[in-house]
Amino acid sequence: MSVIMLINRKIRNQKEMLETLAQTLERSYRLVRDRRMKLVLRIQALAARSAREWLDSQGFLEMLPPIIGPVTDPGIRGAKQATVDFYGREYKVMSSAILYKQMLVSGIPKIYFFSPNIRLEPLDSAYTGRHLVEFVQLDLEMAEASYHDAMHTAENLLSHIISSVAENGYRELEELGRELRPFKPPYKRFTHAEVVEMLWKMGEKANPNTEIPWPLEEKLSRAIGEPFFITDYPKGARGFYDREDPARPGILRDFDLLYPEGFGEAASGAEREYEYSKILARLRETGENPAKYGWYQEMLRDGVPPSAGFGIGVERLTRYLCGLTAVWEARPYPKLAGIYSP
Amino acid sequence: MSLRIFSTLIRLLSGGGLSAASRFIQEYPVEDVVNRARSGRYSVFPLKGVDEFGRALLGGPVYERAPLRFDILSRILLVPPLYTPHRLKKMEELMREPLFTDVKTSVRVGGFTASMPVVMASMGSTDVFNKVSLESARAAAKAGIPMGVGENVATVWGYGRRVKPSQPCFKERVMTYLGSCEEGFGGVVIQQSVEDAYDELWNRVYSDPDIEPYIAEGRVGFEIKLGQGAKPGLGGETFVGREQALRLSRKYAFDSDPEKVAKPLYERHSAPGTFTPDILRSMIRLMRNNYPRARLWLKCGPFRDISDVAKLSAGEGVDAFCIDGKEGGTGLSPITALKDLGLPLLACMARVRRNTGGSLDIVCSGRLVDGGDIVKVLALGARAAGLGRPIVLAAYSNGEEGVLNYLESLRLEIMMLVSALGKYDVSMVSDEDLAAVDRELARGLGIQHIYD
Repeated sequence: MSVIMLINRKIRNQKEMLETLAQTLERSYRLVRDRRMKLVLRIQALAARSAREWLDSQGFLEMLPPIIGPVTDPGIRGAKQATVDFYGREYKVMSSAILYKQMLVSGIPKIYFFSPNIRLEPLDSAYTGRHLVEFVQLDLEMAEASYHDAMHTAENLLSHIISSVAENGYRELEELGRELRPFKPPYKRFTHAEVVEMLWKMGEKANPNTEIPWPLEEKLSRAIGEPFFITDYPKGARGFYDREDPARPGILRDFDLLYPEGFGEAASGAEREYEYSKILARLRETGENPAKYGWYQEMLRDGVPPSAGFGIGVERLTRYLCGLTAVWEARPYPKLAGIYSP
Repeated sequence: MSLRIFSTLIRLLSGGGLSAASRFIQEYPVEDVVNRARSGRYSVFPLKGVDEFGRALLGGPVYERAPLRFDILSRILLVPPLYTPHRLKKMEELMREPLFTDVKTSVRVGGFTASMPVVMASMGSTDVFNKVSLESARAAAKAGIPMGVGENVATVWGYGRRVKPSQPCFKERVMTYLGSCEEGFGGVVIQQSVEDAYDELWNRVYSDPDIEPYIAEGRVGFEIKLGQGAKPGLGGETFVGREQALRLSRKYAFDSDPEKVAKPLYERHSAPGTFTPDILRSMIRLMRNNYPRARLWLKCGPFRDISDVAKLSAGEGVDAFCIDGKEGGTGLSPITALKDLGLPLLACMARVRRNTGGSLDIVCSGRLVDGGDIVKVLALGARAAGLGRPIVLAAYSNGEEGVLNYLESLRLEIMMLVSALGKYDVSMVSDEDLAAVDRELARGLGIQHIYD
């Protein structure tokens, strides 16, 4: 029996889970020798290949991702940014490359990259099975696009990946005991307000002003049985760059894409704020001095095109494709909040 | 009080040599607080020593030392009734006549349980407090009251390691408090200035393994600072030496660039922050979204639109709304601001009372010193009183014990006054227990006048 399955079986409570996890991850160099991990990594590679294939065919250009910069995305809920010393000045490791995506689409209309991100997540995230401190996003952005365009791209991309992996990775999937069902776009779309109402009917008191908590996302994802979008989040639930609908103040033109079967969030995307004065006011929501975002502000004053885009977590995608319990099973050297591992 | 201590205090509190500032300090009841810090519960009576009782003719203070520029709490009196149905009820419960010691002083405030309706107000990085911050933190924890940690402490004195041997760093203050807390009581609320946000202080706290167990227990909160009593609309102002100025030069604004101009002291300015209703609402929601396990406190300065701010905060369901009247938040405020900027505490309370009607956990601060002050703000609708300066004074005059003594004297006074009003739970005092000495004030606050 594999190490990973052994852990999953042993877990009885959070404390025990954390201890067992820590013991395993401290020796994560052993993971790659595990048969199951090899299968998972093959599926991951297939998924990445099929994503590139599809995106390239749609006219997207692959870029090399930024790793560090003077600032990074401040809109990550509860997670701390990692800092490096850059010749006596502080630089941040990308928590997401959102600011650079807006930069790129001012020159190249459709871009994507596999962007490595660091988010020093709160410690309770170690239990969720869906958070990694170090992970990769397939991050894309389209100039002059709406969030409807971005959702259209997201559902077609995901459907392509699923059917391509199901076809080319059937041996691996079979060995993993995973049955992958293909889904045809368009996927169902629910607004955040509708989802909150659905949850209330299910007896869950979801807050109409914040993101849907993880356990509730999971519950929905089980109940709906196919991939679906949650759109139109309330302002305050998301980063400053998600565009507020001019016709509906307080509502953002953004979305999450959720996997079925309880696997939760697949992608997070939005139409972007691109007007300088609006972004300035939104930046204040994080309590920061906008001066910190100097180059970004200057770029906005020069003007950037309206755009929309999203990011798909590669490890979460792998977790879904392979039917894994935890997202850390989708990396040979996983980093979890508070656990020191190679 | 010995002249030496007094002059030391003046020097410490005025930043040395500012004669105008020391005038403000002299008008503050320094002697009273120092006496409490030393004598604890005995200071509640106007005696020099215990043996004096029965031998001296005693009287209460009736006069103001100087003419008032605006209405303060001394313009309101607590007015007990003879008929006390609540006392009767308490008697039924106790099967004897109730005493003042039967008053329940503990309250829920801002998501925490406090052993008495007092919060140690958020004090920041200024040397004078930071130096005694650990003694104060330990005392607050032992006394079972929540503690605030003000702005810039982590940025100026270091997050987890001291940048100057004599100055405790941020985490020492927090862990000293949390580590000394009584079971079930207290909690810590942490402010983040624009400059602290540069290093994402809240995110750092929220992902700190040492603090995590307390976050899980619901003992940690974050406080959005919307201004400070004595200087609404102005940001933090302080003086720092060259070494510190060089270290902080990218995060704060200085009166001159420490890299180019060498001088012993630099003025360090920090920004007050820009707000609109939209920004504030989004900020609150973002906090709820990002830190679902943290309590959310707001500290508002004495702004003329404070009732709008309170209304928005009530609507967004913040855990506590702190009102800092212009008498408070004096930590290095420009003299002109101390004199002329902002509304007095009573005016803030009057405005907020009209607009929010009990839907907020209000914490009041601004020159609150004794039990009377505290019971009065409770009767006006506050859940607790925020104390800053008296804690600093008590800590300087007698360390941790001084703060504990001082708090004990308050507890005693609160129990006496509340029981005199015929009530046996501090949360029961209300505006019926108050009478203003002035008609206009009575009307403003919606309470009775002494001749009604």
